[in-house]
Amino acid sequence: MFESAALRTRRKIRDCVAQGLIYLAVMLVSLVFFWLLVDLARGGMTHLSWAFLTESPRDAGRAGGIASILVSTLLILLVALVAAIPLAWSTAILLAELVPAESSFGRSVRFSLHVLAGVPSIVFGLFGNAFFSIYLGLGFSILSGGLTLACMLLPILTSTAEAGLRAVPDSYRLSAAALGLSRTAALTHLILPAAAPALAAGLLIGIGRALAETAALLFTSGYVDRMPGSLLDSGRALALHIFDLSMNVPGGDESAYASALMLVILLLCINILAMKLAYGLQRKKIMT
Amino acid sequence: MVKIIIFSLTNRFGVVAAVIAFCGLVWAVPAVANAGSQRLVLTGSSTVAPLINEIARRFEAKFPDVRIDVQTGGSSRGINDVRKRIADIGMVSRALKPDESDLLAFTIALDGISLIVHADNPVTGLNRRQVAGIFTGDLSHWRAVGGPDARITVVNKAEGRSTLELFLDYLQLKNSAIKPHVIIGDNAQGIKTVTGNRNAIGYVSIGAAEYEVQRGAPLRLLALDGVEASVENVREGIFSLSRPLNLVTAGEPQGLTREFILFAQSPQVHDLIEAQYFVPVDAN
Repeated sequence: MFESAALRTRRKIRDCVAQGLIYLAVMLVSLVFFWLLVDLARGGMTHLSWAFLTESPRDAGRAGGIASILVSTLLILLVALVAAIPLAWSTAILLAELVPAESSFGRSVRFSLHVLAGVPSIVFGLFGNAFFSIYLGLGFSILSGGLTLACMLLPILTSTAEAGLRAVPDSYRLSAAALGLSRTAALTHLILPAAAPALAAGLLIGIGRALAETAALLFTSGYVDRMPGSLLDSGRALALHIFDLSMNVPGGDESAYASALMLVILLLCINILAMKLAYGLQRKKIMT
Repeated sequence: MVKIIIFSLTNRFGVVAAVIAFCGLVWAVPAVANAGSQRLVLTGSSTVAPLINEIARRFEAKFPDVRIDVQTGGSSRGINDVRKRIADIGMVSRALKPDESDLLAFTIALDGISLIVHADNPVTGLNRRQVAGIFTGDLSHWRAVGGPDARITVVNKAEGRSTLELFLDYLQLKNSAIKPHVIIGDNAQGIKTVTGNRNAIGYVSIGAAEYEVQRGAPLRLLALDGVEASVENVREGIFSLSRPLNLVTAGEPQGLTREFILFAQSPQVHDLIEAQYFVPVDAN
């Protein structure tokens, strides 16, 4: 009797310790995030203003704002997404819906995507510079930067979308077939909306990676901080601007902090927007 | 056209329209851009790039139909791109080497390189022999040069940086002889490394270092061979570790290229050169 009570308390203590360690790990993770956010906010808040968002940089970025940089960044992102999404998602549909998972074709496509996903971004930068900028003659431009990013995004978008489509239960497909829906109709009205949150999550990871990209863009979209007039103009991305301000421009720290804060805010806004859109789409399509 | 794409993304019909418009844009834009304004492309040294960016902005204000694109990547890239004719002008933050005699160099400013240590370090100056000893690893303790009892952290520049080449040239050493603990890229990174480590020694552009000291960074510029490291002494020409900032071209510059180089060498941009903590040179 006495022994089993001792055993019980010992187990209780062990449980408590394990639970405590898990909570500690969770707190550490969130601490890193909040520390980062507080540090950014403290360094950048005073410098961030409406004028900072609407002016172009002056004095190598120490003065002025980031309007032209923001426009370039969004244009690069837009080019990358417009080029990558149709390719990536149709590949995902092919892999998940039309080709048997174990077929050698599906395997080889998946394998090449995995290899592509592991390639460091600087290699994409060199490839983009050699292929888009020089061979295709696009020069240092938003277009070559965006297309280089599109190559980087392909594996991320494809594999997340494929996983999302595979997660849709087979009973959906069978029910659709039983009701006489064509494969295309089932795809557009049922399976894609059902997988929309997964597609959106993949899209967010892709956008995050694209917005954070520095190395691949240095060689392709370039360093020019003027307001871009066309997609063939060179335009500096926000991440590259932050890198240049903090590492190359003495006295650029304040602007770098404010720009970094802006980058985080931009990411948060895009995240919230994309999540809202995805859930809205899912509800509208499936409920009606 | 660009704005149309952004706004039309708000509805689903617009997405389709945007894709079509984008494809059209890809085909249409090259023709427009080629027919439009004159363009000048400069690539090269990351030290010179912010300065040239400012000069270019003033040049564009004077000649509104000119567009000047400034790209960075280091002096070696500037040389390469000019040779391959990818760039009209290369930015090189050192004098040209003998095997680069196919190119022409135009000096627009001077820059000195200073050894820097943390402000808590009592050492105030070194001579060439001591510097060589520290960077080759022969002197590994600060006590050997009159400092505290601590190991020296040697901060070196990355391969391809002209600061490194100038420094090696001054010490008469090969890069393989240097035993660095930290390898850095740009000036501001070097300053951050040294302000964060009491026992580090590195070398950066004097202008950048003086600016950070004025702003209260815990940093000291070391005198070299008894000469104070300052912008003044670089201007006087008595500080031995200094370098020219050059624009290089593959042949005798003509047209817009020539206009821009003359503009960058003229007194009209001396205030910009000083604002980036470099030393203007007299054109004659």
